Amino acid sequence: MSSHPTDFQGSVVDALREAIERQIPDSRAAVNGGGGHFSIEVMSPAFAGKSMLESQRMVYGAIAHLMKGEMAPVHAVDSLKTRTPTGAA
Amino acid sequence: MALSESLRKQISDLVTTNRVVLFMKGTRQMPQCGFSAQVVQILDALVPSYETVDVIRSPEIRDGVKQFSEWPTIPQLYVDGKFIGGCDIVREMNASGELQKLIGVKTSDPKTPTITMSDAATKAFAAAAVAEAGGDFLRLQIDAQFQHELFFGPRAPRDIDVRVNGLTLLVDPSSAPRADGVSIDFVDGPGGGFKINNPSEPAKVKQLSAPELKPMLDRDEVTLFDVRPEDERAIARIAAARSLDEARQKYLLELDRDTPIALYCHHGIRSQEAGQQLFREGFRNVYNLKGGIDAWSQSIDPSVPRY
Repeated sequence: MSSHPTDFQGSVVDALREAIERQIPDSRAAVNGGGGHFSIEVMSPAFAGKSMLESQRMVYGAIAHLMKGEMAPVHAVDSLKTRTPTGAA
Repeated sequence: MALSESLRKQISDLVTTNRVVLFMKGTRQMPQCGFSAQVVQILDALVPSYETVDVIRSPEIRDGVKQFSEWPTIPQLYVDGKFIGGCDIVREMNASGELQKLIGVKTSDPKTPTITMSDAATKAFAAAAVAEAGGDFLRLQIDAQFQHELFFGPRAPRDIDVRVNGLTLLVDPSSAPRADGVSIDFVDGPGGGFKINNPSEPAKVKQLSAPELKPMLDRDEVTLFDVRPEDERAIARIAAARSLDEARQKYLLELDRDTPIALYCHHGIRSQEAGQQLFREGFRNVYNLKGGIDAWSQSIDPSVPRY
């Protein structure tokens, strides 16, 4: 894993999870990764009836502040999965 | 920073004057990022020409398109002026057939390949399925370089079901044309495992581990040549091997092109090169000893000195 320069203090994984769970209704987020690269899996009833594009946009919207700028703590989201509690959205 | 009007217009012009536009890192010929490369590979298979924009060369577009699409990552695909998505979405839509519909390519479903499986392989799979599959399916994947992968995984929408020996094997549509005629066998013991034989595979130097080569030599199924120079042969050698001096090279080149030939050197790099050269000479059954004589000393004959 490459090192990634950032001025962010604290756990990026926790920051991602908290941002997602705070902004997407009734969501549960599982976040893995480090070194600027992360995989994210989010489950929420809010994705029901939404396309993959719309669902992923909701997640990206929730974590946009962590992806902005050259020194952003999140350099890439290697994998982003969204699902509704009853199955894949 | 807000998107300037001129930049917005520039991006908007790009995506409306070209039908299929990919904002990516690098170029179609030389993608500079794995995600961009994956999308290029998918598009290459679907459309003869499309526009790419290298965001590494234009940082203002790199930032601009993220705002324009309200999407934080590159690559980004546009079709008919409409934002489609990034790598994940393009991959998913390619697998489901949605992308083909969107771009307007007719994809006829490929014909079901004929695959055979030995009884030993069938038994081994049945055992593995009970042990670890958990409802997943046995899948065969063959990429454009004819790298074969057999694994358990979930079903995808355009998968083709192949019935083999009472088992269901799933093959994705791009692997299917390459899978016709494949036979799968299972060999027990060291150096064993699943063996896939694919008649459509273009000839290449086959890699043999030392434990795989040993029984072939014992049964006289292959002729082994040492590609190293004399000074290295003086240090260590495999008894059954012939040197590849000038006289022997001449002899080799007069052999029937179907003759099975194995090559080795110190670590398997020079012999790999030599093997490729033999292919250019028309030989079809060329093997390389993986890890060279060093691997042989370690796993077959410790009396052969390592150096």
